[in-house]
Amino acid sequence: MPTLTRRGAAAAAAALATVLAAACAPGSSGDEPESKAPAAVSTDVAKAGNVTLTVWDQEVQGGQKKQIEELNKRFQAKYPNVKIKRVSRSFSDLQKTLRLALSGSTPPDVVEANQGYASMVQYVKAGMLLPLDSYDKVYGWSKRYPKGLMDLNRVTKGGKLMGSGDLYGVSLNGEIVGLYYNKEKLAKLGVQPPKTWAEFDQALATAKGKGEVPIAFGNLEKLPAMQLYGILQDGMTDKEAVRKLVFGSGGSWTDASNVQAAQKLADWSKKGYFTKDSNAVKWDDTPVNFAKGDGVFMFGGTWWAAELSEKMKDKAGFMLPPAAQAGAPAATMGGESLPWSITSKSKHADVAAAYINFITSPEAMDVSVETGNLPVLAASKQPSEALLKEVSGAWAELSKNDGVTPYIDYATPTFTDAFGGPLQELIAGRKPADEVMKAAQDDYTAFQKKK
Amino acid sequence: MNARAERFLNHAILALFAVIAVFPMIGIVAQAIQLPHADFSAFGTAWREGHFAAYLRNSVIVTAVTVVVAAVFSIMAGYALGTMRFRGSAALFLLFLAGLTIPTEAIVVPLYFDLRSAGLDNSYAGLILPQVAMSVAFGTFWMRAYFRSVPRSLLEAARIDGASSWTTLWRVLVPIGRPAILTMLLLTTMWTWNEFLLPLVIINSDEGLRTAPLGLSFFQGSHKTDYSLLMAGALIIAAPVVIVYVFLQRQFIAGMLSGAVKE
Amino acid sequence: MTTVARRKTPKAGRAASDRRAARPGSGPPGEPGRIGWLYALPALLVYGAFLLWPLARGAQFSLYHWDGLGEATWAGLSNYTATWTDPSLRGAFGHLLVLIVFYSVLPCCIAFVLVAAMSRTKIRGLTFFRTVLFLPQVVAMVAVAVAWRWVYSADGPVNTVLGWLHAIGLPDWRHGWFGDFTFALPAVGVVGTWVGIGLAMVLFLAGVQKIPRELYEAARIDGAGAVREFFAVTLPGLRRELAVALTLTSIMAIRNFDLIYMATSGGPGDATKVPAYEVYNRTFNTGEVGLGCAIGVTLAVLAFAVTAGIRRLVEGKDA
Repeated sequence: MPTLTRRGAAAAAAALATVLAAACAPGSSGDEPESKAPAAVSTDVAKAGNVTLTVWDQEVQGGQKKQIEELNKRFQAKYPNVKIKRVSRSFSDLQKTLRLALSGSTPPDVVEANQGYASMVQYVKAGMLLPLDSYDKVYGWSKRYPKGLMDLNRVTKGGKLMGSGDLYGVSLNGEIVGLYYNKEKLAKLGVQPPKTWAEFDQALATAKGKGEVPIAFGNLEKLPAMQLYGILQDGMTDKEAVRKLVFGSGGSWTDASNVQAAQKLADWSKKGYFTKDSNAVKWDDTPVNFAKGDGVFMFGGTWWAAELSEKMKDKAGFMLPPAAQAGAPAATMGGESLPWSITSKSKHADVAAAYINFITSPEAMDVSVETGNLPVLAASKQPSEALLKEVSGAWAELSKNDGVTPYIDYATPTFTDAFGGPLQELIAGRKPADEVMKAAQDDYTAFQKKK
Repeated sequence: MNARAERFLNHAILALFAVIAVFPMIGIVAQAIQLPHADFSAFGTAWREGHFAAYLRNSVIVTAVTVVVAAVFSIMAGYALGTMRFRGSAALFLLFLAGLTIPTEAIVVPLYFDLRSAGLDNSYAGLILPQVAMSVAFGTFWMRAYFRSVPRSLLEAARIDGASSWTTLWRVLVPIGRPAILTMLLLTTMWTWNEFLLPLVIINSDEGLRTAPLGLSFFQGSHKTDYSLLMAGALIIAAPVVIVYVFLQRQFIAGMLSGAVKE
Repeated sequence: MTTVARRKTPKAGRAASDRRAARPGSGPPGEPGRIGWLYALPALLVYGAFLLWPLARGAQFSLYHWDGLGEATWAGLSNYTATWTDPSLRGAFGHLLVLIVFYSVLPCCIAFVLVAAMSRTKIRGLTFFRTVLFLPQVVAMVAVAVAWRWVYSADGPVNTVLGWLHAIGLPDWRHGWFGDFTFALPAVGVVGTWVGIGLAMVLFLAGVQKIPRELYEAARIDGAGAVREFFAVTLPGLRRELAVALTLTSIMAIRNFDLIYMATSGGPGDATKVPAYEVYNRTFNTGEVGLGCAIGVTLAVLAFAVTAGIRRLVEGKDA
């Protein structure tokens, strides 16, 4: 038996070696997709014949889900020849599967591809997304949007840098990460909504002293801690420095103020200001807990506002994170929701562009307001609910001050693990702030070198 | 310790572990029907929102085709390896045997890229063919063991009656081998139904083709906070195999056992 | 669980082929010669094209740096070196060792206790117990993960019971199990133990029935208690079954993708990262396809080594 095995194995190995030597190396150089000239773009969807447009979005939560369903309904009513096949999945499921699907043989036509070096830049590099500049010229998106927001969805040729170059997507909703607070609880504690970080610290201490959970926080996915870190960083560092750092054009994660932000996070955790065992609590459970009354404050995106407004009515408040000094302009992370992009293999690029144009039109902005969301552009309608009014006010104030900083997970393709993981350790009290920031910097340096 | 006390203790130990074994499942049921309200609406909601009707149908199609094709191929290959002598048969057997230890993790990545080039990702075929391959490794091995246990006299009698090898296989050996075949069918059904990694990678864009376990994974993604729905979904996808198991547990266990320690 | 039995069988095959060798001259009926190949051909084709070929391609991919999107560059063996030098991957293989204890050693120990309980005295409802204890083996791992997430959740049963214990004066042992750096890995391990007990038990139960009753009677006449009886009679009699149980459950631990993907995604930090998950994570999340394949190939080698190693360990004594 043993000799046979050996002989069989040797024969099999030899045969395989021959075959494999003949087989080529995996992968191929992706052709750079060329967008057609503006003149060749057809904007007449009705003439496109019967088209099924496959659209992937991540709008599974209350308000956003309603918004997209409504927009899709209206688009299909307007163009009965188009059928939208909507595939929606949660943000993290979309992140996990989009890469697979885009490189697959039949990718969807329209996708929400997150900004940043982890997603959009990589897809552009591989030639999977269609440059939209011709469509921009035809539809005039650049005139609709402020330059800063458009630039977030731009990537330079060959996927080198984000923030400039060709346009690869257009966003529908605005979003910022701000501070939610429970008005009822604040009143009971006798605390005013904090204007400065010092006041905020005071409020947290008071809440803790009265046996409340000061900050509702769920960090199972690592990303929440990165957002919280980003807010603290915005409170301690100049916003321009943050932008440069994230986009890869200067600065270091180990700079004193960046380490200080991590230290603040560690201090809060040590003082017990967060939900217990926050590393085990799911991100999506955070607003649920907050609405139930487990938490006086909560840092979170405007994407939770519709749901919270429904559950808490006017008990919930929203504000920009405190400023370093009273009266100073605040800065926080945000910008716009995931951009809608067209895949380079799509057979219905013109229809897809018309769809994107439709869902970012002034009409769509009104739908956004009606469904409790924060439209990226000014809408003709105003929200009626108290919380949504506050959200909309905060967005306006931030835009006026040019206070939007990019999400820090844009920085490298592996940042969620490389920085988010150590942040979990920081929160668990297992790693000091300087080591955590060094881990972030190591990953950042490695990526900059590869680029 | 007297015999009676020991008997009591033994029952107590078994009862304790039996409770531990079913406890999470009981918990799922309790959550799904929202005890103490006994409200079954979560099943309806999960069924609709999770598209479980479609996903169960996909699972049934994939499982049925995989199991039947793998069974036919395994029976034929097992027959050859178990009753015939031909050049290279020993090496061939070892080749199949080697397949028993190859984990899906080792093949799923290249499988994805090659199936994609062949246009077989997001298709039933892309799910079925690799699973047939995994199942024939076990099936061939299993059926070979059965055919070796068949009395030679039976084979010789059939031959003297003038039956060809083909007729002998399907008319004589397969009918009397039903218990062995049933066990093989049960095991491959269970594995195929429960497979998760392969559909996760192969069915990456056409959500209409998702299998039941894959459907549950995405259902968990979009209904993280609604535990009763999630539990109802988990029950829906686990139930078919569990029901079959409860009715045919003897064959299940016998299969797992004799496959492993057949002397 | 898909894994389990698919790979349980090498031993039986060996036994069968040995028997064949020991029975010379029993020529097969039917047409001799090439027709055997014809019968084996369909199985061989599918098997070759969809199992062996991908395995070889995986080995080939593992020699390249490739992000899965663009062009690949030759990497030599550097992806294999990376599995040892990258701290998070080294950690993942370390976690695998810990999990093997939970998935393999613990279930076997517990199964011995259960089998002793089942075989020393007459048990009412033996079939019932057997059916119930084996049940975790047939439930889809995805559903198992959903169930255990609830078991370990903040207000789930584990923390509730620990809360009661705290209330009567014991320390507060409540944790966010899957999110705790110290306890997440053992928490995953316990799920594996829970799944594995039934398999080991069923194997041992079958083995015990083959041990001659006289051996037990002799031991009892010698005045052996339950413990001595176990070490003198039961354990030696179950050596073969023990090997099978260890092999199958270890391979379950090696193929631990479903549970990690559904329950922890490798977190918190890297605390529950295991190689099986990293194959997927590196390939499809971070775009290191070559590295993912290298981990996959390593896993295949590991699975093969475990199967061969445990068998040799147990059967070596016979030689």
